Amino acid sequence: MSIFPWLVPAWLFAIGIYGIVTSRHYVHLIGCLTVCQSATYVLLLSIGYAWGAGPPIFYDHPPSTPAVDPVMQALVLTDIVVGAAVTALLLVIAIQVHKRRGTLDPQRLRPLRPDQ
Amino acid sequence: MTAPWRLVLLAAALIVLVPSVWHVAAALPPFGHPSAQYGPAINAILPAARHVTNMVAAVNFDVRGFDTLGEECMLVCAVTGAVVLLRGARGERDEARAGHVPGRAVLARSDATVLVCRITATLTLLFGVYMALHGTVTPGGGFQGGVVAASSFMLLYLGEGYRAWRRIIRGRAMDALEGGGAFLFAVAAAVPLVIGRPALTNVLPFGQLKDLFSGGLMVVVNFCIFLSVTGSFGLLLLEFMEETRSPAEDSVPDEADR
Amino acid sequence: MLLPVAVLLPLGVATLLLVCAHLLPSRVSTMAAIVTALTVAAICVLLARAALAGPLVHWFGGWTPATSGRPDVVLGISLMADPASAAVAAFTCLMFAASFVFAWGYFDEVHSHFEVLMLLFLAALVGFCLTHDMFNLFVWFELMSVAAFALTAYPLGKSSLEGAFNFTITNALGSFMMLAGVGLLYARTGTLDFTTMARVVTAHGADPVLSGGFCLVAAALLTKGAIVPFHLWLSDAHAVAPSPVSVIFSGIMVSAALFVLAKIAMQIFAHDPPVMALVRNLLLWLGLATAIVGGAMAYAQRHLKRLLAFSTIAHLGIMLTAVSAASPRGMAALLLYMFGHGLVKGTLFMLAGVLLALRASADEIVLYRKGRDLLPAGIAMTFAGLMLGGLPVGLMHQATDILDELSPAMMTAAIVASALTGAAVLRAAARIFFGVSGAPGPEMTAPTERERERDERPLWLMLLPCAALLAMALAQGAAIDRFIGFAAPRLIDPAADASAPVAAHSSPTSYLPIALTLVLALLSAVRRRPVRPFPRSLVRLELFPFRALRFLHSGLVADYVAWMIVGFAILAGMLSWS
Repeated sequence: MSIFPWLVPAWLFAIGIYGIVTSRHYVHLIGCLTVCQSATYVLLLSIGYAWGAGPPIFYDHPPSTPAVDPVMQALVLTDIVVGAAVTALLLVIAIQVHKRRGTLDPQRLRPLRPDQ
Repeated sequence: MTAPWRLVLLAAALIVLVPSVWHVAAALPPFGHPSAQYGPAINAILPAARHVTNMVAAVNFDVRGFDTLGEECMLVCAVTGAVVLLRGARGERDEARAGHVPGRAVLARSDATVLVCRITATLTLLFGVYMALHGTVTPGGGFQGGVVAASSFMLLYLGEGYRAWRRIIRGRAMDALEGGGAFLFAVAAAVPLVIGRPALTNVLPFGQLKDLFSGGLMVVVNFCIFLSVTGSFGLLLLEFMEETRSPAEDSVPDEADR
Repeated sequence: MLLPVAVLLPLGVATLLLVCAHLLPSRVSTMAAIVTALTVAAICVLLARAALAGPLVHWFGGWTPATSGRPDVVLGISLMADPASAAVAAFTCLMFAASFVFAWGYFDEVHSHFEVLMLLFLAALVGFCLTHDMFNLFVWFELMSVAAFALTAYPLGKSSLEGAFNFTITNALGSFMMLAGVGLLYARTGTLDFTTMARVVTAHGADPVLSGGFCLVAAALLTKGAIVPFHLWLSDAHAVAPSPVSVIFSGIMVSAALFVLAKIAMQIFAHDPPVMALVRNLLLWLGLATAIVGGAMAYAQRHLKRLLAFSTIAHLGIMLTAVSAASPRGMAALLLYMFGHGLVKGTLFMLAGVLLALRASADEIVLYRKGRDLLPAGIAMTFAGLMLGGLPVGLMHQATDILDELSPAMMTAAIVASALTGAAVLRAAARIFFGVSGAPGPEMTAPTERERERDERPLWLMLLPCAALLAMALAQGAAIDRFIGFAAPRLIDPAADASAPVAAHSSPTSYLPIALTLVLALLSAVRRRPVRPFPRSLVRLELFPFRALRFLHSGLVADYVAWMIVGFAILAGMLSWS
């Protein structure tokens, strides 16, 4: 049943979305966003994987040994950097919101409605 | 919307998505038997073409180096944004006193902590540099090495304490590292244009396979990224740590005052 | 080749400014930013002219398709300039230059970090328009988004931070979906280059993986392009961002996403029947819905920037209907609308910034009669409102004429959105600058807050870019027709050599939007508070749809994400059943 490896990223993404929608704390929400992102890592790496192939590093093996797809791995590396950058920015926003509102509950923080 | 209705909406949407997801998953190439020829072409061509053994680094720094330039600038952009947002509220005073939470005792660091941190910070920094320099031959590269090197700064803080740490790690130096690394990368991409070749062409000698300095321009790009990532994460660490000091002096601007 | 310089130059200048941040006085960095923006604009104009003869291509690192030695395998990344993409890139740089002039002296405290963020934003938008590789598109999409997140949160007020948070979460989810879509497309086609991918897609025809990949990428671009139900973040973000930044957001960032959606759909998926059916049908109805929702919400706002944000959403709906036409005339309408709307909306956001700086508020009811001595701004705002409402001159009107001939649904969308948004802006201008106002209607209970912006810039310096942008929006003529006529078919197929007829025949229906706008504006000016029971129940009936819409636009990020998944389910569902 080779369909199951493709269902794992879908499940991770759905769980992350559920976490975001029911979250009561900004930092928890940011963590759920990271879960959504790891769904994309799993998807990309699964697309590049090949049975019986080794890593695309030919230091110990000659260059003609079967190896997995290096392009997907390079894409995932970029994705990780993207994730780190966005998470840092979100955490900074969370710090500043906490200083001004004293709360980090997404259900109580709405822009442009200062008295609600 | 109230919470239950929101969940009902979400559940309905996810239920509608299930057959589509199943359909797509069934139509994808079977797991472990990819049909794409791009990866195998890289694995076949690059070792001979650029004399490198790390194919991921070859893709990141040479074949798709333009993507890496964009991604590097994105990291710079995010850290600059974080700095603007944190310093904007805090001001730019260079304060060297750690913050103190009233009512909590300040414990002196034990000698064991200081010793272990000094040793491990040095080793971690060296390991980060090692991983970055060998990016074109073994797993690793500028990104990974830069993050490891930046984490050694955290160990340094644990061992030295806030004041001494701030004397070693300076904000201006991190700024220069971060911006300088990205700028040198952009210059390295533009230099081949001056001699009439396409941008980011590998114009330096390729060296020998499995040699430390193989890959031509990849070595330069790798090093630029290492500098920039170290600077970026070091700066992030610095700015977040600065947030922990002197909470009583923090000025939070209110809309009515600005 | 000049093509990579258009992206490398702003990146280089931005990183250099970052290195020298503490050494340079802030005026020098602003001058450097303006000069860079104008230089890249000039480069893109040259590229657009050169691309009329044939698309310009640049392969990075010399990794041309021939280097792989295998058919349908392309190793490197290319930038391709067709006339439309280069024109959009040039327009981007022009908007940035205007924004820099408007923001002179605004961001003094942060030692040129504002210029660094804006130049990186500029580089990302230029790369986004010119790239010919899917993952490279994703990288520039990310850089664009991150710069936007940071710039939105800059004012550090409560609303700015929360608006930026909602913006970041929704758009980050969009970019994860785009990445998943790129992965799926790679899994099926084995390439990331547009031209090669198009070849492989044509050979495969209908395929669930290709449909799934397009669905994910389209969801991301529709999120950035603020189409119902992915649009909820925009009103929060554009309303709280600093005015110079809102100019860029509404002026070019959101319409560039729809432009690239059109490019991808037409260049890659033109021979994929389920995808094209989705584009021609669902996108048309989504555009119409967006135009109606955006227009209605804009009419019911009192905070000027929030009003303008909703009007942007409405006009993006019209642009999406132009995309759904999937023909050279549709692309011509899209380009003309992008340029016309961007210029007018940029002007309006600058005028909102003028009011924030000089009168310390953006609320049209609070500002009643407070703008009486700012007559030039009042005239500009009235004129811009008329243009939004369908004044029969200029770029926007020409685009609307083309849309009227293409489909009745597009005509309805254009009329409804133009009338509601134009009337809202005219009502605000009449209240603020001319003291003409009826009783407040649905806008009375809209969300608003007190805020101000720095006021050290002279009025003439702030109004100068407004006047320039408004003058450009009035442009009309054979040269523009000829250029757009050449550019539109080449957006669909870069190797084409046809020319699309762009001049549209003016019919009586083309005066309908402006007539409706003036009627609605007049009605809001003579409106009186109802005293007798029958008019009171009428007013309560009128309030009901606005209240319902406002309830849905709750400001909670959880709601936004839930609606995004609903929208994604709609897209996926339509693709599965066709």
